[in-house]
Amino acid sequence: MMYLAAARLAFQRQLAYRTANFAGLLTNIFFGALRAYVLIALFGAQNEVAGYSLQAAITYTGVTQALISYLTLFGWWDLMRTIRAGDVASDLSRPFDFFGYWLAQDVGRALGHLILRGLPIMILYALIYRIALPPAPIHWLAVTVSMTLALFISFCYRFMVNLAAFWTQDAVGIGRAAWMVSVFLSGFLMPIAFLPSWFSSALRWMPFAHMINTPVEIYLGIADGSALWLALGQQLFWCVALYALAQLTLAAGVKKLVIQGG
Amino acid sequence: MFRLYTRLISIRIRSQMQYPLSFLFDTLGSGFGTLSEFIALWAVFTRFGTVGGWTMPEVALLYGLAETSFATMDMVFSGYDPTFFSTQIQRGMFDQMLLRPLSLPVQIFGSEFIVRRLGRIGQGLAVLLLSFFLNPIQWTLVKIILVPIVIVSTIAFFGGLFIVGATICFWTVESLEAINIFTYGGTTMISYPMHIYGDWVRRFFTFVVPAALLTYYPALYFLGKPDPFGMPPVMPFLAPVAGFAVLATAFAFWQVGVRHYQSTGS
Repeated sequence: MMYLAAARLAFQRQLAYRTANFAGLLTNIFFGALRAYVLIALFGAQNEVAGYSLQAAITYTGVTQALISYLTLFGWWDLMRTIRAGDVASDLSRPFDFFGYWLAQDVGRALGHLILRGLPIMILYALIYRIALPPAPIHWLAVTVSMTLALFISFCYRFMVNLAAFWTQDAVGIGRAAWMVSVFLSGFLMPIAFLPSWFSSALRWMPFAHMINTPVEIYLGIADGSALWLALGQQLFWCVALYALAQLTLAAGVKKLVIQGG
Repeated sequence: MFRLYTRLISIRIRSQMQYPLSFLFDTLGSGFGTLSEFIALWAVFTRFGTVGGWTMPEVALLYGLAETSFATMDMVFSGYDPTFFSTQIQRGMFDQMLLRPLSLPVQIFGSEFIVRRLGRIGQGLAVLLLSFFLNPIQWTLVKIILVPIVIVSTIAFFGGLFIVGATICFWTVESLEAINIFTYGGTTMISYPMHIYGDWVRRFFTFVVPAALLTYYPALYFLGKPDPFGMPPVMPFLAPVAGFAVLATAFAFWQVGVRHYQSTGS
């Protein structure tokens, strides 16, 4: 129940930031349009590249722009701030699971962002371009599952990066570098299928691609049949692996934590 | 005046060196952030060949000019960065500046200087030099002189946009996020040949906000490419006019803003 309340509060907080979200939306759309122009120019006269039609490539820019705020792809510092301020001490001593408490808040925030940022981007895209939609109901369902798993993978990663503040005063720099790594390796900048094959197959075995590239490929129906199951399986694997890693990091961090005064 | 400026700056620099590991990560990270976009583009180029008829080294020229200039501006004009300047207004720091018997621009330029931008400047320069090396440019004296002029003009242009963004804070207090479309968005946009964009985008960024004059037309001239829009042959040399016109207009707007400024009372 407590987790639900935390999620609801985080959700409502997003609804309160209407102007900020609207301005962010304009920026997302502008950059989305730029990326679409670049892909249109790259395609030139070609109809299909690496399984992507031009329409799929344009849709890809829309879906990835819509996922930015859902996954806070460019940075998430909330937990780190509480560690630096010392609030983390009281949060840790409360009778609830620390990871679960932050996860609940992040789910609420993500839903708020999905409604205020993600959905309007897709609607505007649909008005400007002829975008592709998931081909069949089963793909809609698969996209929903995949996006949920993607959020969990992304959350575990961001949670761990934030925990760096337990060890070092320089955690902000580590964070900024960590967000860039995930932007680069997630397939946000270009569809992974467009990259040289050695690079793309390496990326598919890392967790980052399963935050962005996998849900997008499922949306577009590019990952279909057995590839779809493999993609979801890989996502599930990374959920479990990163969750375990996050809990280990948290345990180590708490052991390290020294509270001044009190 | 200049000695005062350098002293203010050296204070900013020393304070940023207090967390050396963070500083190192930040500097490397700030370069890598935009470089990764370039690497991603380069990685897909083998599959596509050209973007709007331009090869990768040709796009690298645009990219190098835009990145080097924007990142240098971002460091030098840190004090006018709308996001930073709005917090200065909220904290009442700007009121203090108005009360000091010192020139306002010296104080604002000296109020922040983000050294980690060096990472981004470095990667911009690296790409620019690489493009000089890879493109068969017929160098002439005019072209050699034009390179630094283009960079300085682009710095002036984006500096002007920062000042406009900061001035808007006099009315809104909060920084207007939409200005990012012109600053960060503008940099990304002029990193690609202008003819790949739709007509309305291109016209807006040629005649209203003259970003296209800064790097696109000079790049056509450096590479010896024909102008696809058949504009007058003077276009490659209008970069300083466009850049400094924007900067001068921004300063004029700034003066109006300062006169209208009413403190937040904090």
